[in-house]
Amino acid sequence: MEIVIETPNSPRKRKGANWEKYGWMYMRISGAVLIVLIFGHLIVNLWDKGVGAIDFAFVAGKWTNPFWQVWDVLMLWLALIHGTNGMRTITNDYAEKEWVRKTLNITLWVVCGALIILGTLVATTFDPCIDPNAVNYLPTVCK
Amino acid sequence: MSAEATTPVIAEVPSFAVTLMVRRYNPEVDSEPKWQDYDLTMYGTDRVLDALHKIKWEVDGSLSFRRSCAHGVCGSDAMRINGRNRLACKTLIKDLDLSQPIYVEPIKGLEVEKDLIVDMNPFYQAYRDIKPFLIASDKPEKERIQSAADRERFDDTTKCILCAACTTSCPVFWTDGQYFGPAAIVNAHRFIFDSRDEAAEVRLDILNDKEGVWRCRTTFNCTEACPRGIQVTRAIAEVKQAVLRGRA
Amino acid sequence: MSTPKVHHHQYDVVIVGAGGAGMRAAIEAGPHAKTAVISKLFPTRSHTGAAQGGMAAALANVEEDNWEWHTFDTVKGGDYLVDQDAAEILAKESVEAVIDLENMGLPFNRTPDGKIDQRRFGGHTRDHGKAPVRRSCYAADRTGHMILQTLYQNCVKLGIEFYNEFYVLDLLMNTVDGVERPSAVVAYDLATGELHVFQGKSIVFATGGFGKIFKTTSNAHTLTGDGVGIIWRKGLPLEDMEFYQFHPTGLAGLGILLSEAARGEGGILRNASGERFMERYAPTIKDLAPRDMVARAMANEVREGRGAGPHKDYVLLDLTHLPPEVIDAKLPDITEFARTYLGVEPYTEPVPVFPTAHYAMGGIPTNVKAEVLRDNDTVVPGLYAAGECACVSVHGANRLGTNSLLDINVFGKRAGIFSVEYAKTADFVPVPEGAVDEVLSLLANVRNSKGTEKVAVLRKELQDTMDKNAQVYRTEESLDEALAKIVELRERYQHISIQDLGQRFNTDLLEAVELGFLLDLAEVLAYTAKERRESRGGHFREDYETRDDEKFMVHSMAYKTGDTIKLGWKPVTITNYPPMERKY
Repeated sequence: MEIVIETPNSPRKRKGANWEKYGWMYMRISGAVLIVLIFGHLIVNLWDKGVGAIDFAFVAGKWTNPFWQVWDVLMLWLALIHGTNGMRTITNDYAEKEWVRKTLNITLWVVCGALIILGTLVATTFDPCIDPNAVNYLPTVCK
Repeated sequence: MSAEATTPVIAEVPSFAVTLMVRRYNPEVDSEPKWQDYDLTMYGTDRVLDALHKIKWEVDGSLSFRRSCAHGVCGSDAMRINGRNRLACKTLIKDLDLSQPIYVEPIKGLEVEKDLIVDMNPFYQAYRDIKPFLIASDKPEKERIQSAADRERFDDTTKCILCAACTTSCPVFWTDGQYFGPAAIVNAHRFIFDSRDEAAEVRLDILNDKEGVWRCRTTFNCTEACPRGIQVTRAIAEVKQAVLRGRA
Repeated sequence: MSTPKVHHHQYDVVIVGAGGAGMRAAIEAGPHAKTAVISKLFPTRSHTGAAQGGMAAALANVEEDNWEWHTFDTVKGGDYLVDQDAAEILAKESVEAVIDLENMGLPFNRTPDGKIDQRRFGGHTRDHGKAPVRRSCYAADRTGHMILQTLYQNCVKLGIEFYNEFYVLDLLMNTVDGVERPSAVVAYDLATGELHVFQGKSIVFATGGFGKIFKTTSNAHTLTGDGVGIIWRKGLPLEDMEFYQFHPTGLAGLGILLSEAARGEGGILRNASGERFMERYAPTIKDLAPRDMVARAMANEVREGRGAGPHKDYVLLDLTHLPPEVIDAKLPDITEFARTYLGVEPYTEPVPVFPTAHYAMGGIPTNVKAEVLRDNDTVVPGLYAAGECACVSVHGANRLGTNSLLDINVFGKRAGIFSVEYAKTADFVPVPEGAVDEVLSLLANVRNSKGTEKVAVLRKELQDTMDKNAQVYRTEESLDEALAKIVELRERYQHISIQDLGQRFNTDLLEAVELGFLLDLAEVLAYTAKERRESRGGHFREDYETRDDEKFMVHSMAYKTGDTIKLGWKPVTITNYPPMERKY
C-alpha cells in the first residue's frame, strides 16, 4: 500500500454550481425581515380586540389595502422558502442515502412551490364580496 | 513565602476501582464491534490513557490504540470518552463520573481499523486540500515584519494539533464525510488571517464550497471538543464573514 | 504464520523519521531528488512538537549579541566536550535557520517593531558569561509545535512523499568497491503487517531519542531509540552515550516537561523552606544555570532533606510573583499542564517539579556534513544522521536549552543538502540477498516465543533500574547494578510472549521489538557511563566528582562486537576555547 500525498495544487472536486453562500445569506436576511413582518402582523391582528375579532370581514377588509396584500405575500414567500431551506439542510445532515436525500428535497421544494403559488393567488385575486346574500358577514366595502 | 504555601496538593494519591467499557473491533476476527468491560484499580493522577495502558500491559496486549507524547501535544489519542471527544492523555479519570462505567470508543465518522484506531486519511486529506502552508511571493532577506497585533490575529488557530476531536464531534461530518470539517477550516483560518500570506482569496474560494463553511450549523460541538481550547466555531464564523467580504 | 508480502521501492533519498530533522532534510532534498520520508508516526505526532521554550539564534533583535558568544556558550555549556568546529557552524547558521523558518511561515512572537522576539534561556550569556542574554526565538511556549507544523506544512507544499506508520526495523548494507555502503531500509507497515524495502542512494536517519529507557521522562512513549539501535546492531559505533540530559523541571511524579522558559520569564526554584537554593549553586545566573547543574542542585536539595511535599521528594517552581497576564501570554501551555495533571494553580501556588530524563547528547557519530562515521574519522558513504539520534557533537556533555530545535534545523538541513549531493553522483547499492530475512526472523522470534515473561514488566524493571542507578547521580556500584540487571532482563527477553498475533496494527508486537532496542541502548549507556571515571556535564560520578581533562577530554565510541561492547575514544576538536572550569 503506497500512501502518496497528492500534489498540493490539485483542486478538490467541485460538485455543480454552488448556491450555499447565497442560501446562507438568504437565511439571515429573510430571518431578520420576517421578524419585522411577523411581529407587525401579530400586533395589527391581535392588538386591541384580541383573536376573537378576527373574522372573514376583518381579513377581507385588510386585503382591500394593497399595503397588507404586499405584506402578507412577502411574508408567505420569505417564510416558506426560509422553512424549506432549513428543512433541506436537515435532510442533508441526516439522510445518509443519496436517493432518500434527493426524494425528500424534491418533495420539499414541490410542496413549497405549490403553497407559494396557491397563497399568492389567493392574496392577489381575492374578492371580498363573494356572496351578496350574506351581507352581514361582508366587509363594509361590499354594502 | 511561607513554608505552608510551599506544600500544595499531591499528598497521598488515593486509589479507587473503576470499570472501563472499551469498544473492541478487530476486522481480522470480529464480524462487528463489541463492548468489553475491564475492572481496574486506578489512582487520582491517572488519566484514561493510563487505564488503557494498564489493560494493554497487564490484561490484554491486543488492545490497540494510538498514543505518543502522553501530555496533549501530539494529538494521537483522540477518542470518545463517555460520549465526548477528548484526548485520553488529558482526561483525568477522577474527573469522570465514577458511579458508572467509563465508556471508551473510537472517534466517529472515520472508518474503524482496529479497536480505537480509525482511518485518519480522509481527515488529513481535507487538511491538505485547504493549502495549509504560507503562500507569499516576496523573498525577504531577513524575517518578514509582522506587528504583534497582526500576529495575535491568528494566534488561537495556530494551536491546532490535528487530533480530529473537533471534526469527528461534528454531526454534519458524521453523515457527510465530504464536509471539510472544523479542523481543516481552523487551519485555513490560520493562514487566511496571517498578514504575511497572499492567498486568502484562494482558500476562501475553496471553502465557499458546497462542502465548505456553509455546512457548519454552529452547534459548538467542535469548540467543546477541542483539547487545545481553540474557539473553533468562532474561527469558522470568521471565515464565513471573510468569504462574504471576499477577503480576509 | 505465512510469510508477509514484501514490497520494493526505489528513491534517491530515503529519510527515516518525520520529526523536525527528518522533515527539514526532506524540504532540502524533495525539490532536487526523488525523496521518501518513512515514519513510525504521522509526522505531526513527532516529539519535536513537545519542545516548548524556543530556538537559539544570535539575531540581536532585542539586544547586542553575536554568533561567537553563542559558540562559546554552547562549548562551555557542553563542559568542553563539544566539537568546536561543529558548534561554530551551529551558531553561525542559526540565524539563517530561524529566518528560513520565518519565511516558511512560522508564527514567531514579535517585538514591538515587528521583528522576531527573543527571550532569555539557561546558559545563554552575553560576552562569554557576563550576563544572561535574550537569544531564544519563540512562539509562545509551543515553539516546537510550531516548528513541526511549519515543516510539515512545507512538506505538503512541496508534495513530499510520506510513508506514515511504517516502522523501520533494519538497515541493509552491501559492499561495493571494497567499501560497505547502505543499500536500503526494511520497514514494517503497521496497518497491514506487510514489509517494504526502500532502496535509496542516500539514507538519512532522523529517528530521535530513546528517553523511554528511563521511568521518569519527558519523552513520548514512542521514543524508543529504534534508529540508534539499528545502527548499533549493524556494528557501527555510538558516540558519547553516557551523556544523557535530565531536565530540571518535570512535573513531579509524572515527568511531563515544564519549559525552562518558565525560569527564563522569571520563575524561581525554591526548596521546602522557600529558599531560592540556586543562589548557592550558581551565584551569577542562579535559576538560569545550565540544566545539568540545576538538575543536580535539585536532586541534592531532596537528598539532603530539603525537598517539599509529604515525602520531601520534589522542589517547587514559583511563578506566583509573575503577573497572570505574563503567564497567560508567554507560558500558557505549561501552566495548563500544572492545572490538568497536578491540579495546581500556578498563579497562586508553586508547582512541584523534579528532574526528568529529557535528551540524549550522544548517538550516531557524524561529521559536520551529517555523514555517519564508522570509526573516529571514516565516513560511511551515503549514510546520514541528524537530530537527537545523531552526535555531531554540538552538545558535548550537556546540551543548552533551545540548542536542540536549532540542531534539527541546522543539521537536518545539512543532511538534506549533502544527501542530495551524494545521491546525484552515486548509484543504487544492490540490495543484498535475503534482504528481509533478518527482519522476518526478528518478527518471527517475537511472535513465536512462547515464554511467560511480559514486555511491560521487563520494560518497567529496566526503567526502574535506570532511574535508580544511571540518573543524575551515578557511581561504579550503581552502574554495575544497572548492567547486571540489563543482562538479566536481556536473558528474560528471550522468553517473552505477546498476545496479539494478528497483522493489523499489532502494537503488541511493536512494543516487544522496541523493548529490544531499549535494552541495547540502556546497556551501552550504563557501560560507557561506568568507563568514564570523571564528572562532566550531564554525567556525574559521585566516586569521581571532578572533571578529568587529562584522561577524559575525549568522546567515547562504543562498538558492538558479538555480544560484548568494545570501547574506543575519539579526540575533541578544539579551535578557540581551551577547557576552563565551568562556573556560572
